[in-house]
Amino acid sequence: MKKLKFRADITTVTVVVFIVCIVLVSVMLMQFRTVEQTDITEIETMRESELRALLSDWKTRYEDVAKQLEDTNKRIEEYNKTIEDNEAAADLIDDELTESNILVGKTDVYGEGVEVTLSDGDYSDVNASHLIDLVNELRYAGAEAISINGIRILAMTDIVEMDSYILISLQRVQGPYVVKAIGDKDYMSTILQLKGSGFVDITSDINVSLAIKNRVEIPKYNGELEIEYMQEVVSE
Amino acid sequence: MNKKQIAITLGVMCFLLTIAICVQLRTMSSASSTVSQTLSDNGLRDEVLRMKEKYDNTYSELENAQKELEKIRQEATQNDSTAEAKEQEIRENNILLGNTDVTGDGVEVVLADATVTNSLNPSYQIIHFGDIQDVVNELKNAGAEAIEINGQRLVNTSAITCEGNIIKINGERVGSPFYIRAIGSQSLLYGALTRAGSYLDIIREYGNTAEVTKVDDITISKYAGSITYEYMKEDK
Repeated sequence: MKKLKFRADITTVTVVVFIVCIVLVSVMLMQFRTVEQTDITEIETMRESELRALLSDWKTRYEDVAKQLEDTNKRIEEYNKTIEDNEAAADLIDDELTESNILVGKTDVYGEGVEVTLSDGDYSDVNASHLIDLVNELRYAGAEAISINGIRILAMTDIVEMDSYILISLQRVQGPYVVKAIGDKDYMSTILQLKGSGFVDITSDINVSLAIKNRVEIPKYNGELEIEYMQEVVSE
Repeated sequence: MNKKQIAITLGVMCFLLTIAICVQLRTMSSASSTVSQTLSDNGLRDEVLRMKEKYDNTYSELENAQKELEKIRQEATQNDSTAEAKEQEIRENNILLGNTDVTGDGVEVVLADATVTNSLNPSYQIIHFGDIQDVVNELKNAGAEAIEINGQRLVNTSAITCEGNIIKINGERVGSPFYIRAIGSQSLLYGALTRAGSYLDIIREYGNTAEVTKVDDITISKYAGSITYEYMKEDK
């Protein structure tokens, strides 16, 4: 090889090298453009995980609604049947009422879940915002029923800080605070223990202990559920 | 310059260029995989939209089925006074649960991020999810029967969450300005939020907007989703 090159005329060598250089440089330029594009697609891949989360979110919602639609249609059919057969609808309505009372919080309930106990720390006490945050996080984790020291927490239940105690729907409660929740026990405990955001992980000023239970009992709401100010909007 | 020197220079240059091309080629191969990822990304985006549409359709179907169920339930219980009373209770339960649009006298609170930045710490000048939680708790304490925030009804399972700087209620994004509507005793609700040292005063201190007005016949929309349970059972 070397011998061949050296024997060749210098101008020929220069021309060949020049052409090779041009080809190489243009190939490199083309490649650089691809590299730039790669940076953009990196954002796209980040979006992908977001999209996946969104997709599974919509899927869960769809499945929930589809199941409820199926149940509702079944009920309609059953009612239709009783009307056709001229039978009493007593059983049907009893079932429906029981279910709706469970959802509202008018019955004692049990099921798998978690129990979180909060007690005063060395330098700071448990306050209402600890309880509000914990209840909020349990709801996020899918809790179906929640109680604090035996008081059922519903959508409109307030938790208020007083000087030396906490008021929950106008009842005094004092520590230690036992917060019970029924729901998917594994999911709830995972959410509560998430590093950096879970209640159990980030609360360090007070004592927190978490217990995962196969049976948690939560009493019914002990007040009156009155509708005084609001009215159903009847459409059509 | 003798021929040897030229040859060495050229050799080194060629070597460098070849290495550069090799590096680029490897980048290129990873780039081509991201190109296919972008394609699957678009597919994913379509899938999300399709799932959302599926949900929307099923949800409106469910709404119709629920109306039909209510009608047929009424029909089936017409001639039976005990069943009729139960039917009435189911109806009331649905109002309590947040399954219906409701109307009544109440208040509307508007919270909005500050428009002029004059603080050293801009974090004080935006509405945080803690601010919303405090206002909501205050409204519950004043006896609110129904609350919604930017159209999201608060039900037994509603959580207010903060992911980075995105606030979500019932899993849906909400942003400033926040319109918090509540039905209940107008004077109690209004009084609780306008007393000296109330949360609204604190929010206003940093230049954020925090207004409360009494509104007659305010309408609060129902919970957009299905309210069901899976883990709890009635404890008889």
